[in-house]
Amino acid sequence: MINHSFERRSFRVPTTAQGAAVNAADAPNIRVVDLHKRFGALEVLRGVSFEVHRGNVLSMIGASGSGKSTLLRCINHLETPTSGDVLIEGRSLVYRDADGKRAPRSLAEINRMRRELGMVFQQFNLWPHMTALGNVIEAPIRVRRMARKEAVELGEECLRRVHLGEKSHEYPARLSGGQQQRVAIARALAMQPKAMLFDEPTSSLDPELTEEVLGVMRELARDGTTMIVVTHEMGFAREVSDRVMFLNDGLIEEEGPPQQIFGAARSPRLRQFISKYLH
Amino acid sequence: MSDALRQSLDLSVFWEYRAVLLHGLAVNFYVFAASAVVALGIGLGAALLRVSRLAPVRWIGTVHVEIFRNAPEYIMVVWVHFVLPLLLSLLLARRLEFDPFVSSVIALGFVYSGYFAETFRAGIEAIPRAHIEAGRACGMPERLILWRIVLPQVVRRMLPESLNQFISLFKATTIVSLIAVPDLMYQVTMVTQQEMRPLPLYTGAALVYFTVIFAAGTLLRALSERWRSKIYA
Repeated sequence: MINHSFERRSFRVPTTAQGAAVNAADAPNIRVVDLHKRFGALEVLRGVSFEVHRGNVLSMIGASGSGKSTLLRCINHLETPTSGDVLIEGRSLVYRDADGKRAPRSLAEINRMRRELGMVFQQFNLWPHMTALGNVIEAPIRVRRMARKEAVELGEECLRRVHLGEKSHEYPARLSGGQQQRVAIARALAMQPKAMLFDEPTSSLDPELTEEVLGVMRELARDGTTMIVVTHEMGFAREVSDRVMFLNDGLIEEEGPPQQIFGAARSPRLRQFISKYLH
Repeated sequence: MSDALRQSLDLSVFWEYRAVLLHGLAVNFYVFAASAVVALGIGLGAALLRVSRLAPVRWIGTVHVEIFRNAPEYIMVVWVHFVLPLLLSLLLARRLEFDPFVSSVIALGFVYSGYFAETFRAGIEAIPRAHIEAGRACGMPERLILWRIVLPQVVRRMLPESLNQFISLFKATTIVSLIAVPDLMYQVTMVTQQEMRPLPLYTGAALVYFTVIFAAGTLLRALSERWRSKIYA
């Protein structure tokens, strides 16, 4: 199942274990600063900070309830952080500067910034009353105000990229789970985002269909897409990521390149977690 | 005995007056169409109030729905036609009168807006939150999500339920004869007073209503099933 022939483009910056950028001019694409998220009395994220650089793939692994999905959803503001900040290319998604004071960003601004982040959900979340192509071109037409003809061309290109060129006129109900998820990926790609967020994209799929989706994700990574992937697919995380982050109980327990995380983990909890999953 | 029975069962008098009666039926349709537009528009508005994040806004929607769902159509029609102009005249210090057609459209429109509001609300709440989040993740503003993602699905989901409401509304248009709107029942009443043959006339009217509703209902159900089956495969 693991694609051993996977090759990475050589110019992607491999970051050090401390997460500092090797190239100073290569500003972080996404930066999370001391993020806290509380749901009522339950604090799910207890101070998370990290950076993702352009063209890099960050995988987030951890047990259920560790806060991985919540963290991902905070990055595109589907959840509002309780405190802390998320910076997309240096601009805060959570706050704006109002005469030197910090005020929460307006919803309109947040929506505008969300265009730069594509998200792929565990349950695909395709809109059932539109065809595959309809799903893909809806946002470019309505949000980016693209002309329909141009959007259709873009949409078909995106669907071809996920190997679903012939299925553009099918409704989601007629597509398999793997096909639906690939349409969802095409839909996110059509907005030409700066980074793609994946929230357990293959967790609802059986092993056969999982592989076709992972294949597409590998190709995206190979093409230099900035990706943050919350996943249970350890093989994918090991093979494709530049960095892997292990979340436990709302905090980053350990973070580093896949060789370290999967081969020479420092944290005992992480080693326990890995041994459970990689048998 | 059989002769008198045959004579009273003779529907030809219905056929004789068909022009006038057909005009009456047309008026039923006009009232139905106008009331449906009002009911759908106000019903959608009330439903959106009901699903708002703000509690006082929700309360307004609930009050609207409860008042109009619990009001009998006949009483509403009479009240809007006779009482409302009096109230408004006192308020505006002018003498006001409503055209019976307008009164019936307002009354039926508001009563059925209560039912449609509940239908819409149930439909809106049944849309998975996931679809809305997918829209947000693409940077779609809330209003766009409502119009392009939520409402199209609501219409498809609630079409069978709405058809039942529309049939009730059409049947309710028969009461407008009581405030002298010249619909089918009104014309039948007039003709009966002239011809003194209630049996064929009232039976004919009943048959006409039944046929129209049955035919339209069957056709619309078949069409809507085909339309819905595309996405609920």
